[in-house]
Amino acid sequence: MSKEINDIKKTALYEIHLKHGARMVSFAGWEMPVQYESIIKEHEAVRSYAGIFDISHMGEFLLEGKDVIEFLQYIMINDLKLLEPSKGQYSCMCYENGTVIDDLVYYEENPERFRMIVNAANIEKDFQWLTDHLEEFDVKITNLSMKRSRIAFQGPKADENLQPLVDVDLSQINRFYFAHCNIQSNPIFIARTGYTGERGFEISFENEFAEKIWNSLLNTGASPAGLGARDSLRLEACYSLYGHEISNSITPVEAGLSWLVKPKEGIDYIGKEVLMNQKSEGTKRTIVGLNLVDKGIIREHFKIFKNGNNIGYVTSGGYSPTLKKTIGLGLVEKQYSEIGTKIEIEIRNKLLGGEIVTTPFYRNV
Amino acid sequence: MDYEFPDGLKYATTHEWIRIENSIATVGITDYAQHQFGDIVFVELPEVGMVFEKGSNAAEIESVKAVGDLIMPLSGEIIGVNQNLAGTPELVNSSPFVDGWMIKLAFSHASEIDELLSVDKYKQIIQNEEH
Repeated sequence: MSKEINDIKKTALYEIHLKHGARMVSFAGWEMPVQYESIIKEHEAVRSYAGIFDISHMGEFLLEGKDVIEFLQYIMINDLKLLEPSKGQYSCMCYENGTVIDDLVYYEENPERFRMIVNAANIEKDFQWLTDHLEEFDVKITNLSMKRSRIAFQGPKADENLQPLVDVDLSQINRFYFAHCNIQSNPIFIARTGYTGERGFEISFENEFAEKIWNSLLNTGASPAGLGARDSLRLEACYSLYGHEISNSITPVEAGLSWLVKPKEGIDYIGKEVLMNQKSEGTKRTIVGLNLVDKGIIREHFKIFKNGNNIGYVTSGGYSPTLKKTIGLGLVEKQYSEIGTKIEIEIRNKLLGGEIVTTPFYRNV
Repeated sequence: MDYEFPDGLKYATTHEWIRIENSIATVGITDYAQHQFGDIVFVELPEVGMVFEKGSNAAEIESVKAVGDLIMPLSGEIIGVNQNLAGTPELVNSSPFVDGWMIKLAFSHASEIDELLSVDKYKQIIQNEEH
């Protein structure tokens, strides 16, 4: 993995992206493809067939030791009692005040060995947080982020197209489960997870196999898809994005992720008191779906108004290629969060009419 | 990357093209500009009759990822807008110089035309931006 003087990191697939004609942007310290030919075409390819995404910028940790489960029960808000070997779990790790350090997925290889996938922008912060809380726990944390590459293979044809390439029966891998297998004799970790609202897989493997695996997946007819499509797909599916719907100033309960907050009786996990209280008492603010009645495009940071009062702001917004109109998510005061509530969104000094709507906008999993 | 540069046009440093015929200027964004935007999903055009100074924002252009402006390359009055862009903004991507035109204006200072760029000058600007 090469490191540039300006410290912008490149994934093992960097050259391939350039060959595909990608437009590269810097994202969380990485030089990543935002689009190849067209965000809309890449988005539609994932919804109708299959797409492949380089997600090697994301972080990957290995946690090993006798106390891994006990440690994660203390650090994470979700309950690891719901896990079993070969299964993954989506969770958040939070500060004592309930706001979010990161949202992530960890996979139980066995009770003493967990793989964790975290957001690119939070790799160092997460590693530090985990390390700082090891205390007496018998846990060793290894950062595999730079040694391994990750690809997401997503779309209604993902199963059918991937099956001939791998030596595992994909129909035996249920949602959020994983396996270790080979893709044309290259060893991979494969999980039935994703961030697009479609069926599909996320795989991880040593950097040296990156180009071969990418090309094998490309040969199934899948379209390379960039960060632009990744964002428009996840927005339609209403998956939270760190720094937007959840952050160090927004709790999972406010973000509509109450289901992640578990009672875990007898376990005093970090953030439990605030989050369990928010879960039973409710919060003053909440994340809602947004539509625009007037013409325009909802964008992040735009202010939301009701009767002339600023009641919140847009956390994510954009154009939905599937619905062919603008959609958004916003954090608003609870009393205005009911579906059908008419609101106004300020776009370039004009107030445009909008509405609180049901979410997700689209999901097919 | 190869971009289209049709004959007979003038250009602005802010990536508008200008076709001048019978004291009327037709204006749109260049092929290079539409590539930079990516998929254009919304264009908010001015109303006919509005008068703008050179350099002011005459239209808002939004792609999936980006927001930008059409900058008035000449001072004058809007005498026509491309109504087709309301329903099919993607015309700006597919046909930036013909079907994707944005505004027609009656310019008020003919001398401003001399300040517009020739195609060769404009190509130089793109080269500088790309490197």
